[in-house]
Amino acid sequence: MKLSKTDPGGDIAMDMTPMIDVTFQLIIFFMLLMDMSTKELEDLVLPKAANADPDKPNPADRRAVVNITADGRVLVKRDLLYDPKNDDGYVKLKEFLYQKARLMPKAPTEPGGSIMAPDKPILVRADQSTPFKYIQKVMELCGDQQIQIWKIELAAAEVPKDDGSGAAAGGN
Amino acid sequence: MGKSRAPSLPEEMKGDMTPMIDVVFQLLIFFMLTIKFKTLEGKLSAFLPKDVGVNTSPAVPKEKVEIKLKVEREGTKLDPREDMPWSGTGPYRYGPDRIVKYSIGPKSTTNLKEAASRLRELYLADKEQPATIDPYPGTVYADVVLILDEVLKVGYRDISFVGDRSATAGAKK
Repeated sequence: MKLSKTDPGGDIAMDMTPMIDVTFQLIIFFMLLMDMSTKELEDLVLPKAANADPDKPNPADRRAVVNITADGRVLVKRDLLYDPKNDDGYVKLKEFLYQKARLMPKAPTEPGGSIMAPDKPILVRADQSTPFKYIQKVMELCGDQQIQIWKIELAAAEVPKDDGSGAAAGGN
Repeated sequence: MGKSRAPSLPEEMKGDMTPMIDVVFQLLIFFMLTIKFKTLEGKLSAFLPKDVGVNTSPAVPKEKVEIKLKVEREGTKLDPREDMPWSGTGPYRYGPDRIVKYSIGPKSTTNLKEAASRLRELYLADKEQPATIDPYPGTVYADVVLILDEVLKVGYRDISFVGDRSATAGAKK
């Protein structure tokens, strides 16, 4: 009988290096993505708005995102800046807004106007059941003489285009 | 003469890669399952009063469309994500029985569509007029976003907010 020259019964050693490399790359990708996607945005249930502009921030702008939970806690990048249970008079939040405003480029609030104020907005994200007084407080601090942030964006959940016309309504 | 011994080369070590690959795959599956992608979000732009600092230009009085929001009936609290009664802890949302009164100028309504058509009338009369949203104590973020969404839909772009009334009332006491 004629035997084949190749030996099928031999121990085949597979090179695992490329697979391990790719797997590690995937892990690093997911770790970084998870960190970036959730650090600024708290898990809040936003109210729906049919006419909201899609939120596509420019990463270079380093826009401030202020999260306000249903119980009035104010969080920025996971840092608790205000808690109604331990009322500090919004000292930490005021300092944060002051620092943000200081770094923002200044521009006249009206064409040809003499008032120079920060030209970038801040994004306020609040839970749909957050009493509006907490958001008003943030707005009040933004309007402080030393801060003067006057552009504000309120976050809302976008209504998918094929969701029908009445989907934007919340309560009424 | 003694013959020098050639140094023996170490044998090639072959580590068992299986446990490492197992752990790496476990990690990969964990991250894939726990990752939360950024959900589709939108933003509604508004402005705060900009009469801060020293302004040398003479002030021009401007008529504003004032929208007052008052809660007529709080409504039942429901689970924020499902159509179930609220458990009593954590965030909630209001059911369809919540009634908010929208006062636009001298007219008031509890119907959002009516409020929107009133706003449209006013906007068509003067497209440069700014709008001011005045939420009374008791209103929540969703109430304000709902009317702000309509105000933007009508066409208003200069939209501002009135400060916290409860704080002013507290200060007066």
